Parts: sequence; structure tokens; C-alpha cells
Amino acid sequence: MIRLTWLQFRTQAVTAAAALAAFAVLLAATGPHLASLYAASGVSGCHGGSCQNLAGSFEAQVQSTAIYPALYLISVVSILLAPAVIGLFWGAPLIARELETGTSALAWNQSVTRTRWLATKLTAGGLTAMAVTEGLSLMQAWWAAPLGRAASHGAPAGPLTQGRFTQLIFASHGITPLGYAAFAFALGVTAGAMIRRTIPAMAVTLAVFAALQVAMPLGIRPHFVPADRAVISVAEGYDAGGATGPGGSTLTLVATSLPGQPGAWILSSGPINAAAQPVSTTPAACTSSSIENSPDFDGCLTSQGIREAISYQPASRYWPFQWIETAIYLALALALAGCCFRRLNRRRS
Amino acid sequence: MMTAAIEASGLGKQYRRTWALRDCTLTIPDGHVVGLVGPNGAGKTTLLQLATGQLTPSRGTISVLGEPPAASAAHLARVGYVAQDTPVYARMRVADHLRLGTWLNPGWDDEMAQRRIAQVGLDPRQRAGSLSGGQRAQLALTLALAKRPELLLLDEPVAGLDPLARREFLRGLMEAVAEHGTSVVLSSHLVTDLERVCDYLIVLVASRVRIAGEVSELLASHRRLSGPRRDPGTLPAGQDVIEESHTDKQSTLLVRTGDPVHDPAWTITPVNLEELVLAYMNPANDIPARRPQLGVVS
Repeated sequence: MIRLTWLQFRTQAVTAAAALAAFAVLLAATGPHLASLYAASGVSGCHGGSCQNLAGSFEAQVQSTAIYPALYLISVVSILLAPAVIGLFWGAPLIARELETGTSALAWNQSVTRTRWLATKLTAGGLTAMAVTEGLSLMQAWWAAPLGRAASHGAPAGPLTQGRFTQLIFASHGITPLGYAAFAFALGVTAGAMIRRTIPAMAVTLAVFAALQVAMPLGIRPHFVPADRAVISVAEGYDAGGATGPGGSTLTLVATSLPGQPGAWILSSGPINAAAQPVSTTPAACTSSSIENSPDFDGCLTSQGIREAISYQPASRYWPFQWIETAIYLALALALAGCCFRRLNRRRS
Repeated sequence: MMTAAIEASGLGKQYRRTWALRDCTLTIPDGHVVGLVGPNGAGKTTLLQLATGQLTPSRGTISVLGEPPAASAAHLARVGYVAQDTPVYARMRVADHLRLGTWLNPGWDDEMAQRRIAQVGLDPRQRAGSLSGGQRAQLALTLALAKRPELLLLDEPVAGLDPLARREFLRGLMEAVAEHGTSVVLSSHLVTDLERVCDYLIVLVASRVRIAGEVSELLASHRRLSGPRRDPGTLPAGQDVIEESHTDKQSTLLVRTGDPVHDPAWTITPVNLEELVLAYMNPANDIPARRPQLGVVS
């Protein structure tokens, strides 16, 4: 059965190997130069306050080249798209194509039970999907390592130095690509088994996978563990900003990072009053336009008892969150595989 | 009585609101080349798909060689199946199909497979998608035969073939069957396809067995009587009228009887298999009172 799986899977496997090789060549050709730029920037041996400037100028230097920002984006997007492509082109046709062409009658009347047929195909396809996606991710992580180090030395957040919790980075690094790949493949196979036609199964696979990939960072991931809360003074609010609405009275405070919690994932931030109640309007004392756009604005707010409340996930939760998310996707993949076995053994109707 | 190749009881398969097979009870004996004949829509394909586990029954039960269909790897090895339209993997070569057979069947007879492929003139390097209908059928038959099953189920295997390919296919099948003593069930809507190869016949009309029996016995027990006009009700007991036609003066009857007909008023002529099957397939003749006892003659 393994040999048959290989025979039928050969084309896809060769395609995947070629894609991996092309990716590797692209990154291997540019990675050493990126690393040499980093070495020349002096960030690695820096001390104290100079680090942030050096890291910032390194980032600016990389950002100013035509090739690295493009490569960075392409490589990250490739990792994010790989599971979807695998689900569509490996998963969906696995059973649907056999049913469409009638070859299921041939495949399932050899001296091999459907359970073994499916188990072999799912294992081979699923493991390959995981290996390919994680392979892309590891290669990209190696390539982008200098940018990550620059970020950890305090380079300002930019397109190339995003925090590890941003969706683009979180979903393309660590172990999450393993979960996405296994899930997308199992989703494709299941859609094919249920719908029995390849093209509609591909459409459903894409829709469901995309929906989950949007819902996860927006609605599910922030709540893996109850968020921590912090209250800081308005002046302390690094990157905090005041904004006023048309009436001149709306107050918002937006924090992009939290003092003492580098790399934390800020979920929400907003002003609260002395009674710890959220407020949405600027206190009357601070509304005069002369104050509003001056540095005194922070002081005025503080004097009125306004502070900034932040809910966040600390950076130390990065790996627990990686494990939780990967476990969720793997569990979904296993549940879908279970559906496929049941569907196949109940036989088609 | 031998083990049943296929035994169905109250078997039904429903697709949404329509029944492809309904309340089908039959026994197909082992050790024969059985022709399963019936008009389109009689449920032949559905019956064979249920027998190979391609479908699950909505009602009733079916067993194949004494076990539920596709019960285990060992049971799968005992049953060969060539589906309608003889599907093969279009993008795989002929040789790949044989390798597939080797890999997936412990009882695979590779010598036989290679010999058959050479006999029917298939190029092992050719992709199955570029084979003609006859070649594809031969490849599918080779796969089913080289597995060395005890029972081979073929669903309309020659329907898409030209007369020459049809003859070649059936000859190949009969050679293999003679060599290994395989039981065979062949379905077709044309009895002419089957009369050269079958020794047992089942006529299935609208999920019901109209008649079943060994071909020689069926031929011996049916006669066409023609003579002066007569009410079939006045025939002696033991002569069942299957089909009747009357003119003002004459009656022509197709009767089933175990005994010789002595009435000198009749001109008696033998019936060939096609006439017999057509008489049983004709819904106008399906009058319950005259329906012969269902069951197996063996």
C-alpha cells in the first residue's frame, strides 16, 4: 500500500520537492549577504543605548534595499499559503478523484481494506504536508534571523521587525505551520469524501481554511489564556497617543507596547478614570485646544486622574500559545480524519 | 446445495426518494458462470455494487461467499470485481497497474497477469488513459483475474465493446475460468452477450427474480406450443404459461413444464435462450398467479 501511495503521489511529491528547492536556493543565495549586513552593522557587539540606534539603522538599511523586503514578504506569505495549497491540491482530490473517475471500484476491491488504504494515504500525505510546510518555515526563520535579533535589540517595529505575536510571524514560525498543514490536508480529504467532487471540495476547503485562519488570530487566539491587565500612567504610556473626535471630546489612548514587558501582545488599551471606569471623553479641563496638542496634554490627563489600562499577553506566553494553537489544529485534523474513516467504511451512498 | 456466491434478503438501496433496488431476495449459487440479465434499471448494477461493498444497503442484508461484502482483507481477496465502464487509472501505465496488483494482493498471480497482457497485445509502457475500450476492459479483467479470486463479479463488462472485442473478452474470461474454476457472475441487459458463456441464468426485472436456473434445464423445461385457439386456463396442471398470444383461430403459448407435452393438438417447438429471457423480461407477462416458484434449481 505504501508503494501504491508513492506511485500515485509521485507527481505531487516531486512538485513539492521542487518548490522547497527553489525556496531554499532563493534564501540561500541572499541569506549570507543579509547576515553580513547584520555583522557589519555592529548590533551584535553593542552596549546599552547604542543598541537601539544601531539596530534601527540596520533595519533601515535592509528596508531601503529593493530585494529584502520583497523576499521577506514573499517567503512569509508562501509559508502561510502552503497549507491551503496542499489542502486544495493534495487533500481534496485524494478521495474525490477516485470517486469521480470510478477508480475507487478498482482501488477498494484489491485485497486491502479501505481503512488501511485511507490510513496509509492520510499518513503519507499528512506527514509530507507537515514536513514541507515546516521546512519552508525553518528555512525562512534561518534567513530572517538577523532581523529578529535586530528587533530584540530594540529596533523600532516595522514591516521587517514585527513582534512575534503578530499574525504574520506567529502563523509562519515555530510549530504552528505543522498544525495548519495537517489540518488543511485532512480538511481537503474530508471535503472530497463528503462532497465526492473535486472542484467543489477544493472550494469548500479553501473557504473553511481561510475562515478559520481569520477567526483564529482575531477571536480565538487572544483568549487561549486570560489576558493580563496593567494600568500605567499616561506619560508612561510608551507610544501612547491621544486623539480627539470631531466634538473635541473623544479620548482614545493607543499603546503599541508596554513598559517592562518587551514583546508583549497588546490586545486592547484605553483610558480609565480615577475610579478605574473606562472613559471615552476628554475631561473638560483638558479640552482647550492649546493644551490638547501640546506635551502638557499627558500631564493634564494625569492630573485629572486619567490612566491607561492595557490588556495584554506577555511575551513569555509565546511558546505556550504556539503549542495550544498547534494542538487545536492537530486535534481538528484528527477529528476530520476520523470522519473520513467513518464515511469510507459506511460506504458511499 | 452449494455455498451461495451471493445471497440477498429483502435487499434495498434508496437514493433520496427513488429506489435503485427494492426488496430483492435472491440466491446466486457458487460454482457457476451466472448470467444476471435484466432490462436497464432492473437493479443489476446496484446489486453488484452492494455485493462488492461499493454501496451499503438501505434495507435488508446481503452476503457474499457467506460473509458481509468487503468484510476483511482476506474476504476482499476472495472476490474479484470489474465495475461498469472498467475503470483504470488513466495516468498510470499498464505495467503500473500490474505492480499495483502485486503490491495489494497476497494471492497475485504475476505470471498469469504478464501472460494475459502479452496475449491481448497490451504494451506495458502504455498509459492506461490511451487504451481503447476493449484494451481497457482486458486490463481491468486481468487485474481482477490475477488476484485469483474464488468469485468474480463483472458488471456489464462487454457493454461498451465492439463485437470482436466482446468475443475476445469473453474468450479470455472463459479460459481463465476453465483453468482455475472461478465462479463468475456477469450482468448484462442483452442475453446474447451471455449465452455462449453462462451455464446459469437469472432474470432480474424491477428488483425481482423472474426466473433462475441452469441454462440447460431452462431450455429443456420451456416449449412453445401453437395450435387452435384455446383458453390457457384449460391446460393440464404442471404447464405454466409464461407468455401467450392469440389470433381469432390460433393460440401460441410459451409454457414451462417438467413433463413432456402429449396433446396432439399442439405443434411443439423448442425455445432458445433469447426468446425465453425476453418472455420473462416482458412486464406484460408478469402476472403474479402465473409467476413460477422463485428459488434455486441446482
